[in-house]
Amino acid sequence: MAVEVRRAVPRPALRPRREREEEVLVWPDLLFPEFISAVLFLFTFILLSVFINAPLLNQANPNITPNPSKAPWYFLNLQELLLHMDKAWAGVLLPGLFLLFLAVIPYIDRSNEGQGVWFGTQYSVRITLVTAFYSMAITWLLVLFDAGKFERLTRFFPTCSEDAQHHWPPCLTGGANGLGGARELYTRLRFSIGDFDWPQDWRFPLPKLGGFSELHFKNLHLWGDMNINVAAVMVEQVIPLVIVFGLAALLVYGLFRIGWVRTTRDVMIVLFTGAMSSYLALTIVGSFFRGAGQALIPPTDLRVDCGTVPAPPGCP
Amino acid sequence: MAIYEEPGRPRNWQERLAIWRDRLYDRLFHNYIWRSIFRSGYPNTPRNQMLVVATNIFLHLHPTRIHRTHAKVTHTYCLGGLTFFMFIILTVTGVLLMFYYVPDVNRAWQDIAALETNVRFGLLMRNLHRWTAHGMVILVFLHMMRVFYTGAYKPPREFNWVVGVMLLFLTLLMSFTGYLLPWDQLAIWAITVGHGIGGSTPYLGDEVQQVLFGGFEIGQNALIRFYTLHVLGLPLLSAILMAVHFWRVRRDGGLARPL
Ligand code: HEM
Repeated sequence: MAVEVRRAVPRPALRPRREREEEVLVWPDLLFPEFISAVLFLFTFILLSVFINAPLLNQANPNITPNPSKAPWYFLNLQELLLHMDKAWAGVLLPGLFLLFLAVIPYIDRSNEGQGVWFGTQYSVRITLVTAFYSMAITWLLVLFDAGKFERLTRFFPTCSEDAQHHWPPCLTGGANGLGGARELYTRLRFSIGDFDWPQDWRFPLPKLGGFSELHFKNLHLWGDMNINVAAVMVEQVIPLVIVFGLAALLVYGLFRIGWVRTTRDVMIVLFTGAMSSYLALTIVGSFFRGAGQALIPPTDLRVDCGTVPAPPGCP
Repeated sequence: MAIYEEPGRPRNWQERLAIWRDRLYDRLFHNYIWRSIFRSGYPNTPRNQMLVVATNIFLHLHPTRIHRTHAKVTHTYCLGGLTFFMFIILTVTGVLLMFYYVPDVNRAWQDIAALETNVRFGLLMRNLHRWTAHGMVILVFLHMMRVFYTGAYKPPREFNWVVGVMLLFLTLLMSFTGYLLPWDQLAIWAITVGHGIGGSTPYLGDEVQQVLFGGFEIGQNALIRFYTLHVLGLPLLSAILMAVHFWRVRRDGGLARPL
């Protein structure tokens, strides 16, 4: 049976005919720059290696945990994300989705628009710049919010005590300070709707299914009465994801409304640039602004090797 | 090359120099051994230059002619080629490091420390390996960005872009597995962070930890797994994918350009 292959865009001939006079010889016009850049890089890296030594701390000791322990720099962005949301989302699912997104870009954007030239669409340069700025700025603001830097802005909440019942309007326990980060929505916020108390578990009864009152596959709960910690799900998963994807969608929509984003290619530019810029911003925060206990500190206060014996000055 | 049409004595020192230069050139390049390696002299005509590129095993990754827009350094900034170059340096220095390194938790750290102090050029090789590894990670990201912003993933290059994404992932994995090998405080605690992240995989956390790290803590099992992946599995896979990647660049008609 013949399989019909449907394509949105007619595929161009694999080897488009070339004009001979448009072409240059690989030797010397390509090999020469390649050779020069290789020599330059080799030279630079040898110089670097002569003057800067690769780090070698004390021998590994499972009993002495350095504070902070840091992943290699290109994973510090994930380690940074861990501070703000559920670890499965931060460490596995979001990066996995990012790689998947990268892989499917060419299958979503199949036009030939702007192919083979830098920033080929009409507004691509400004889209890229605006997106990069937007993403980095927002990433920074969110990091600062979770570090409690905007605590003053949320002081409008009334205060209440830990053990009091049935709160309305929503109130904060533990003093007059505002929210010191999104996770305080879980630890300090209290309110009640009907007989549901934030942040208590919400019991969701399910009928028996063919004699099973409960069904599990490993630690995956398939059927049976559920105790859902609504507050944890909201704070660890829903809110961060709505922020991540919502802000991206908002930017695409905004740029579309003002007419800068016009085609699928433009949308891809926004999403790619946004993801890469946030990735960069998170890497920078994780590398230079996280000290002991993953506290947000200025880079000048950084101490890296507190795991060595004897501990260098400035270590706890 | 050499011209001996005038048998008489040289008239001045420039002529004398020219004769010596030509004799030297003859001695070096027109002898039996040299000619057994390189069958022809310097290719100084366009025809011979194309022939060399087409027939030399190392150069034949290239086409013989390219579109003139692609010869501009500002089109690719040589980023893909430089990423590959980092991979080559890493292979060479990595092989040298392997001579001195045994992946055993009781001696890995001592081996590296000894390599730095007792082995001639050991420290330099280790430094080069470390810094070019970081260089490769940065360059592969930059290469991906250049490909993206030049719209070079569009048809017919979709699949080569996907091969690229796999190479990006492999590059990160190669770097990550290498990070554990010195077995110092930096290494095991960084990998411990990664171990925790792997363990947070929904529903499969334990399995991921078992498969990638060989257990629930960073020990000998993790070290031998990381070592094997780092020196053999991942580079081999990357080399194969790079071959596919380069082949596809050629098969897709060279680099992308406006239709
Ligand atoms: C180990 C990693 C990699 C190596 C050694 C490598 C090498 C190369 C080289 C030498 C080229 C020729 C043109 C140039 O230098 O820009 C190239 C082109 C290309 N690369 Fe890569 N690459 C790698 C990773 C990637 C990644 C991560 C992507 C994208 C996700 C990618 C996608 C492409 C595409 C689509 C082309 C064709 C570009 C065009 O037609 O203009 N590559 N690669």
